[in-house]
Amino acid sequence: MLFPHRLLNRASFVAALAFLLVSPARASVDDAQSFALQAAEPYVKQGFQIREDYWGGDLGAGEKKAVRQQLFKGNEYWFWMGSEIEKATVSVHIYDSEGKLVEQPDSWQKGHFAAAHVTPTGTGSYFVIVTIEQSPEDRTHWALVYGFR
Amino acid sequence: MITFAKFFKVSLTAFAGLALSVPAAEAPKHIDVKQLSKKVEDVVVPLPNEVFGALNKLGGVNWREYVRNDKGSNFTERPRIALLLGTVIADGFIAVQAEDAPTVKEIGQRVLGLAKGIGVGNSITPHAKAITEAADKRNWENVRRELDRTQNSVQSAMNEVHDEKLSQLVSLGGWLRGTQVLTTVVNKRYSDEGAELLHQPDLLGYFQTRLAAMPEFNMKLLQDIQAALVEVRPLIDVADGRIPAPAVKRINEITARLDEAIITKSQ
Repeated sequence: MLFPHRLLNRASFVAALAFLLVSPARASVDDAQSFALQAAEPYVKQGFQIREDYWGGDLGAGEKKAVRQQLFKGNEYWFWMGSEIEKATVSVHIYDSEGKLVEQPDSWQKGHFAAAHVTPTGTGSYFVIVTIEQSPEDRTHWALVYGFR
Repeated sequence: MITFAKFFKVSLTAFAGLALSVPAAEAPKHIDVKQLSKKVEDVVVPLPNEVFGALNKLGGVNWREYVRNDKGSNFTERPRIALLLGTVIADGFIAVQAEDAPTVKEIGQRVLGLAKGIGVGNSITPHAKAITEAADKRNWENVRRELDRTQNSVQSAMNEVHDEKLSQLVSLGGWLRGTQVLTTVVNKRYSDEGAELLHQPDLLGYFQTRLAAMPEFNMKLLQDIQAALVEVRPLIDVADGRIPAPAVKRINEITARLDEAIITKSQ
């Protein structure tokens, strides 16, 4: 499952009932977001503006998701991924529209946090690949935030 | 949603461990993108200031030329209010680029009025206040952050009352105004690098898909925008990202016409 967070609350009355049932999932994605923001925190002092909007969802161990993002040449971007499952291992990597890995060598991962750094050499769409490498849970919530300067 | 500010208040813990982070595990140097979805359904629309920041790095832009503080028309149709709201928030980012505090404050109030008109005013009252306070202090980073929060809160509030389509129109209004200003700047002083910032075909495709899914909003303005995006797409969907001056000029004419239609009542 993948959704920008704004898509979480949708539908009508029937969905209102459904919403009650899925609200724990929402809470977990929000938890994952808080970890992604935790990873982003030190970069604010370096002048990165962290977007309020974010992606989130849940994946099984070994599963990947690709999200596309428009990046602009001239800006510098960090993408930070987090999960609330502390024993999970996650990763995030960035590829250009041709499928070439474009992240900087200072990209990093540590357990349920990961980050990828890119300075685009061209304006256009890029693929951000998020992976739950390992997890003790069947499904692991994740969130991805980004910042630019 | 957990806002960044809220997060900051509670997150002084547990970060030290990240100082021990390690380089990312070896990732494939190349992937087959054909195996990935071509659809752009899960998109975070860039803020206007993302492109403005990149544009600024190409050379001094006199942002004061692009500041707009006209209060504009008032509308009753919610799709029109949503489009205008996105446009006005984009104007807020322009005013921040120009460091024009009085206009920033006016725009903060204008956004509040429009949000009330669409029934989501409560969600952004604190942000409008924060915009005014930050503008008074000329703290432009905080103003930018609050504008982002404003848009996010408005759209989240819309989604909570099942108005996702209006939320998408807010993004579209902002994108159109941002593209209009980008093309105006590049049109005045053309450079390949400036024009390349228009290379956003997937984003444009996203908006086209979303507009096509709004048949219930049977409005001439939305039909005009749909037709305009069809015309713009081949101009920016170029393999090498090199968008020539005549294409920039044409996109500017199109987006200027749409912007005029969004802010005036004649449609």
